[in-house]
Amino acid sequence: MKKTFSVNLGNKVYMIDEDAYTRLKEYLDRIEGYFSDQKEREDIINDIEMRLSELFAELLGSTGQVITLKDVEEVTRIMGDPREIGGEKEQTGQEETRTHYESRSGPRRFYRDPDNRIIGGVCGGIGSYFNIDPIIVRIILVVLFLTFGIGLLIYLILWIVVPEARTTAQKLEMRGDTVNASNIGKFVKDEFESVKKSFRRNK
Amino acid sequence: MDFENVKAQMRKGVLEFCILSILSKGDAYATDLLNKLKESELIVVEGTLYPLLTRQKNAGLLSYRWEESTQGPPRKYYALTDKGREVLKELEASWKGLIEAVDSIINK
Repeated sequence: MKKTFSVNLGNKVYMIDEDAYTRLKEYLDRIEGYFSDQKEREDIINDIEMRLSELFAELLGSTGQVITLKDVEEVTRIMGDPREIGGEKEQTGQEETRTHYESRSGPRRFYRDPDNRIIGGVCGGIGSYFNIDPIIVRIILVVLFLTFGIGLLIYLILWIVVPEARTTAQKLEMRGDTVNASNIGKFVKDEFESVKKSFRRNK
Repeated sequence: MDFENVKAQMRKGVLEFCILSILSKGDAYATDLLNKLKESELIVVEGTLYPLLTRQKNAGLLSYRWEESTQGPPRKYYALTDKGREVLKELEASWKGLIEAVDSIINK
């Protein structure tokens, strides 16, 4: 017996097995990770979801069965590897040789951290940037607020000015990891495992 | 030397040209394009088409509209813009030049 979900894919509702859903979600997340421009990413993912929906409709016929893991594998095979879709296939060779010489890390950028936030993720972002525990940043900020009364103002300004790390590429930049295919793949996998774990715990 | 890479790069350039060329003969939605490109074996996996379409659209070469479909949800039809037609003309000219140049070298 398997648990199923219902998903809306390209404006059509499908029933999908839990394992198939997990695989499909991971697949789409990996593709998303290759496109940093938000508008572009949405367009591409929408188009791909429309096509996936069509392919599933063809595969299932009119019987209205459930999408299984096998169906997802078949459809993603037709659609192709996220690396090819992301157009980074040509670069992977160079990236790999380069990482041999340089360290894995690239320049760090300051983003708000949506995964590590109490209010706006500002302290989480500062923590990531300076590689210190966000709790220390929070304590300093609270002390600044209580003694000088400027902590809140600083926080509000940073909240407005600093962008949130939305994409995988931005999250890697925030942590100071180089944005390349293998790091994105690893990050998405890690993230995914943690979501899966918390999902199981909550059940 | 990575010859797979050379082939992939060649195919990618030609693919952009062919998308514009197919659309110059009439508006199409992504699956029409895919079927034509797959017939001529220009495209291997479908997913590579979508980033190209989106980028051409953002570059002002294509526009799109939604059209109702008899089977399933509305479809996104792509059409060539005036700018797209100009770019296509340039590409056609450079394509012909390229073929002649390569032919003259290969058949010497």
